[in-house]
Amino acid sequence: MARTRTTKKLAQRIDLNYFKRPTPLKRAKFWLSLLLPLLAIAWIAWRGFTRDHRVYSNGRMSKAHAVLEKECAACHVQKAGAFSAKAVDSACLDCHDGPIHHAAQTPTAACATCHAEHRGRINIAAASNQACAECHADLKASGNSARFASHIRSFEDGHPQFAALQEGSRDPGTIKLNHAIHMKPIRRGPNGPNVQLECGNCHRATATDADLMYADPNYRAATVSYKETDEVLCLHCETLRTPRAVTGRELMAPVKFANACAGCHLLTFDKRFDDGVPHDKPEVIHAFLVKTFRGYIAAHPTEVRVQRDPGRDLTGRPLPPAVHTLTPAQWVAERTAEAEDLLWRKTCKQCHTLVPFAKTSRRKIESPVTQESDIGKLSGIPAELPYIAPANITLQWMPHAKFDHGTHEGFTCVSCHAKALTSTETSDILLPGIETCETCHAPGQEHSESRCFECHTYHDWSKRKEVTPKFTLPALRTGSG
Amino acid sequence: MATATTPPGLVDITIDGQPVRVPAGTSVFDAARMNGINIPTLCHLQNQTPVGVCRLCVVDTGARVLAASCVRPVEPGMKVVTNSEKVLGVRKTLLELMMSDHPSPCARQQNSGDCELETLAKAAGASQPRFAKRTIARGKDDSSLAIAVDHDACILCDRCIRGCDEVKSNFVLGRMGKGYSAGIAFDLNSPMGDSTCISCGECMVSCPTGALTNKSVVGTAIAAGPGAQGFEAEDLLQIPVFKGVSGTFLELNRGAIVKRHFRKGEVICREGEFGSTAFYILEGKAKVSISTPIAHVKTQGGAKGFFKRLTSTLVAREQDKRDEEVRDRTIPIDASVDLSYGNPVAELGPGDLFGEMTCMNFYPRSATVIAESDVVAFEMLRNVLDIMLKNKTFRAQLDQTYRRRALENHLRGVPMFADLSPDFIEHLKESVELQRFAPGQAIALQGDPADSFYLVRIGFVKISENYPGGEMVLAYLSRGDYFGEIGLLGGGFRTATCTALDHVELVRISGDDFRDMVARFPSVRTGLEAVAAERRAANQQRMQMVHNVPIDQFLSQGLMEAQSLLILDLQNCTRCDACVNACADAHDGITRLIRDGLRFDQYLVATSCRQCRDPLCMVGCPVGSIRRRNSLEVIIEDWCIGCGLCAQNCPYGNINLHPFEVMVDDPERAGRKKAAIKQKATSCDLCTHLKEPSCVYACPHDAAHRVDPRTFFADMLGQGSTK
Amino acid sequence: MRMDKTQRGWALASLTILAISAPVYVLYSFESPQGPHGGSTIGLIFGAVGFGFMLFAVLLGARKRVPTWRIGRAQAWMRGHLWLGFLALPMILFHGGFHFGGTLTRVLMWLLIVTVFSGVFGAALQHYVPRVMTSDVPLETIYDEIGNVRSLLREEADRAIESICGSLGIRKPLGEEGQRAGGFTALRAIAASAVPLRTSATVSAGASAAVVAAPEIILLSEEESAPLRRFFLHEMRPFLEQPKQRGQRLGDAAKATSVFAGLRTLLPAAAHVTLADLEDICDEARQLTRQERLHRWLHGWLLLHIPLSLALILLGAIHAVMALRY
Repeated sequence: MARTRTTKKLAQRIDLNYFKRPTPLKRAKFWLSLLLPLLAIAWIAWRGFTRDHRVYSNGRMSKAHAVLEKECAACHVQKAGAFSAKAVDSACLDCHDGPIHHAAQTPTAACATCHAEHRGRINIAAASNQACAECHADLKASGNSARFASHIRSFEDGHPQFAALQEGSRDPGTIKLNHAIHMKPIRRGPNGPNVQLECGNCHRATATDADLMYADPNYRAATVSYKETDEVLCLHCETLRTPRAVTGRELMAPVKFANACAGCHLLTFDKRFDDGVPHDKPEVIHAFLVKTFRGYIAAHPTEVRVQRDPGRDLTGRPLPPAVHTLTPAQWVAERTAEAEDLLWRKTCKQCHTLVPFAKTSRRKIESPVTQESDIGKLSGIPAELPYIAPANITLQWMPHAKFDHGTHEGFTCVSCHAKALTSTETSDILLPGIETCETCHAPGQEHSESRCFECHTYHDWSKRKEVTPKFTLPALRTGSG
Repeated sequence: MATATTPPGLVDITIDGQPVRVPAGTSVFDAARMNGINIPTLCHLQNQTPVGVCRLCVVDTGARVLAASCVRPVEPGMKVVTNSEKVLGVRKTLLELMMSDHPSPCARQQNSGDCELETLAKAAGASQPRFAKRTIARGKDDSSLAIAVDHDACILCDRCIRGCDEVKSNFVLGRMGKGYSAGIAFDLNSPMGDSTCISCGECMVSCPTGALTNKSVVGTAIAAGPGAQGFEAEDLLQIPVFKGVSGTFLELNRGAIVKRHFRKGEVICREGEFGSTAFYILEGKAKVSISTPIAHVKTQGGAKGFFKRLTSTLVAREQDKRDEEVRDRTIPIDASVDLSYGNPVAELGPGDLFGEMTCMNFYPRSATVIAESDVVAFEMLRNVLDIMLKNKTFRAQLDQTYRRRALENHLRGVPMFADLSPDFIEHLKESVELQRFAPGQAIALQGDPADSFYLVRIGFVKISENYPGGEMVLAYLSRGDYFGEIGLLGGGFRTATCTALDHVELVRISGDDFRDMVARFPSVRTGLEAVAAERRAANQQRMQMVHNVPIDQFLSQGLMEAQSLLILDLQNCTRCDACVNACADAHDGITRLIRDGLRFDQYLVATSCRQCRDPLCMVGCPVGSIRRRNSLEVIIEDWCIGCGLCAQNCPYGNINLHPFEVMVDDPERAGRKKAAIKQKATSCDLCTHLKEPSCVYACPHDAAHRVDPRTFFADMLGQGSTK
Repeated sequence: MRMDKTQRGWALASLTILAISAPVYVLYSFESPQGPHGGSTIGLIFGAVGFGFMLFAVLLGARKRVPTWRIGRAQAWMRGHLWLGFLALPMILFHGGFHFGGTLTRVLMWLLIVTVFSGVFGAALQHYVPRVMTSDVPLETIYDEIGNVRSLLREEADRAIESICGSLGIRKPLGEEGQRAGGFTALRAIAASAVPLRTSATVSAGASAAVVAAPEIILLSEEESAPLRRFFLHEMRPFLEQPKQRGQRLGDAAKATSVFAGLRTLLPAAAHVTLADLEDICDEARQLTRQERLHRWLHGWLLLHIPLSLALILLGAIHAVMALRY
């Protein structure tokens, strides 16, 4: 009896309603499909009940805000009644003040445009170049002035040469200085011939201003000095100061006579004395001279009898008598005039820009020797003091950027300031150009940070306001708030 | 010892020493019998041609070998010895041999003690054979309702075969097999109950052993229940309709007809039940009706509404009229009257026969019959009914009843005759003749000149067309259907072959008569011509649909019989059941497709209606409610009684029954209704209420397709694609 | 769904979408000051598109529950599911800028990756396994009914054995409930005699309610049938009841062939037909086991894909809402 297969026989094996019956596969599908979503909901619900909203966080907080990892409400402020709990600027401003960059800027970005949170443990202040390029890539279109370069996209793309080094810019300082001579070995040094000066003999960071090699303590007490906090006013705009120096190593201290120059440049005025005049205002020097000579003639009264020194005969001048006896007062006046002549015409003028007998600023001084007021007339010694131009030493060459010599102290001064070796003009600006910086500050992992924020800030900190602190330690510890 | 004066035509012989004179040509057996000498036989019967197979009648005629006396004609001077030692010894051995194969005591021996073999064996002292019993059993056949077959008891004497062939001319029995597996067979070795045997009983009465025994003898008959009453044959013969029926026959078939009494309100038979008996009402009135809701299954919703769920409900014609619904008046049932569509109730009275189809062809009961008054009826089996139908008196009565009660409705059912005047109809009724056809008989052949019109009174007629590619069945016609109207109008040939599938009776109107009548009623002609023209056009259209590709390879799966297959491409199918779910979704939760079946190449031919060219499902519907539209889709009409015959007939198991809960009259409490489950047959309807079959639409993997097998598989079968 | 040339249309469309969105993403990622992130406009668009694709993908499940609604062919939905679902991954990657973000977004990203890859895996399975099943399991039946079919096989084997060995005392199973397909009428007991078909012989090709061959009832004697009975009771029937148990000879095709060959030598020729039937039954049982295994592969991955996708949609929706909130 062979087996036969026919359609009808096969069909008759099958229960007509088989597909409605539950099968293990269908049941498994059903229960799993119920279970997994329920699990998901349970997870979310549990997080909701424990008010732990970190599950919705897009990533860990930045280094600065790590303490707020659990404090979602610190930034995600929920307005009453509304569902949305976006992190709005007002939340940032609760703790921070971010003064606006420029009063007239047209697109004002929200905090989050540049400072994105939830990116992991990053430096949140590090804004990307694109944020800056939003306006600076086409500054004119953003409504800004034509004074600044208008197509800056990044340090390497569109950033102009530093303003200080622009065509035609000159060092405004009035102290004459030829760096090249000073960088060569100096034949007549204070401690012997062939002194080779180092950059650091004169230039130091502001914080470590003490004990320079060629300092002369005699001059410290001079009234003329630069305050470290003096800053050159920005000629173009009175705004936009970079944050004040923090460590003291950012900028170089102004080079003072007492620290750097006094060791070689003596202010001697008369063979009778070894010391020089104080490095001070002309009035002070005049008073010092008179006092010194008075003191001398009082100590050496016989000196009033002056013999004519044939070596000092000058053509064009009336010959003084071979011997003439002066009164002490006259003698002092004569001597003072001679010393001042030397100083104003030679010594001080060597470095300072001064106008010796400035017609414009004639000043009559009250001399103690009032009855011999015509002595000056007799000897032809000027009675007026010179006008010495202000030094105009630039403390901060780049007011719109922050530069920290401290972080660069690994480099030799000459590697950036190469121009110093060959600069002969006072007006030379010895600042390194952008190409020097770009050697290291370029995009790429093997280079230093070259994003905008490394040197520039967006916020105008001169307009900074103080913010009331919001958090308390106990509150953070217990996790509320 | 022949004397010189033996008259011509006579022969003188000696039997056992006795001189005998017999006519020439007489067999030795007959010669002996005529002279009082009984020679035992097993295979020989007087009314049958002798065959000489049992060899029990051997006699010694003085020849070298013994001769079988039943087939041996006498010769002059023959000396016959019928009881010598040798002969007796041979007979004994023969009987011993036969007894060794015989399941003694066989059924006949047990019941009536007259098994010829065992009787003879006992007489010959061969009851306990020396030989080992046969170990291979040949089996029993219990399928016939009237006769039990025990092949083991059969001695292959051939009596039954000759009785069926020669005596009754039914030609059902034959021999099959050889050697130890030789036996008798019915038809092509069908079980007896499945064969064309009409249970006349001739074989049974011829059989010498218990191989063929009357089941009433062994205990089965019409279930005798309360109210059943057997009776004597003489009583039956008193009734006028039984006049002319053989008394012997009734005697033999005593259990095959009972008289029943039904009280008022009792259910005589229920629609849809299977049965094998017919009822003939003697007294009383009965109500015949169909209690299944007269509604068809409609799947609706979804097509129009986006969110509406598809549901299957039962709707009647008023709510949903479908095209091509031909019968709008009557529902044909297996009785002498048909039921009207609007009110499916009718009355049966004395002289009415119902259940004819059930009895003759074993179709399910077509309607419910309930006794309206006290009813006395005969319930009879097929063998009795068969004889009755051959009986002239009975036939005449049946004809008359038919003409009186149903013929007019049937005639009116023909669209051509629907609006004819009553006079015309009267004329028609008189000129009809009722013709009977046997199973398989051709009524009309394609191409024959068409000269008559036929209306089916009972039985199934297959209408098929032959065309170059094969044969295509157009329809199965049952009671109330008609064919051949082309023939009425003259000219023209039959466009189809009409064959009787079972016992068919047709109403025939000859063309000549018809044309005469039409001449008298000219107004009729134009209408008829219009209809005829329509018919011709429809036929043309149908012919065009048929393809011209003769393919044999599909035959084993019956795929070529299909006009539309649902195939699932197994290389794409992920066995996800989406198609089945969609089908169920579209049909109120009962799928009409099963994802199992035989494969063809990489395709699974799903178990879903194939729109067969020869729709076997349509054969046998007791109420004629399953038919096919021109669009190939099988539709099941409102009055499907849910008997399930179509489901059984479908060779592919594509039809299933769909249960509905309906409110029906409560039989126990009149006037009240109760919930009951009624079934309606359903099969794939190609989702014609939607644009595309749901299964195809819902398959996510491009695996389900409804295709015409010939074009789809054309490349594979080496045929060009034909259109 | 086979990945064949019918997928071209969708593949091209998806490629186009990808080809358009990739450069957009690249451009956007270069332009955005903080890098690409989900909250930017383009990021949100990518996120919305990706989520839209995911929603469409998840709706496939719903579509399959209403198979008869005319809202697009299931095939189109399936292809859309495959391609758009796959595209959801790049879209969401673009949305998040290839960052996985915080806890919830990390979970979502992984859910998406696993879902999409399990889907790709499933698509690959659906490409290959049906072919394997078709060729390896010619006697395939419906997976859910394998239990039923196995019990029918057992009954058939019982009948075959009993036809030649006589009754073995095996308990007959109870009648089944439920309605069988194939034309069974469940509520009605059919009379013993099947209804005869009055049709012409050529047409009933394939018909099963047809001629039954005369039973050649050959009963073997006790001793003749002993090996067969032993084999059946101790090996074959247990095998038919537990086909997946390891260590059974009948579980391996080659071994089974030799077992039956051996039986054939032990039993008389009369039993060979039945033996052939039993061998067929064993083969069918083996094929059904293979079918089960293949079917589980073909459908098992869904147990991962579907629940994850549902969780994905749910959490994705929560993420969308919460991210927009914050």
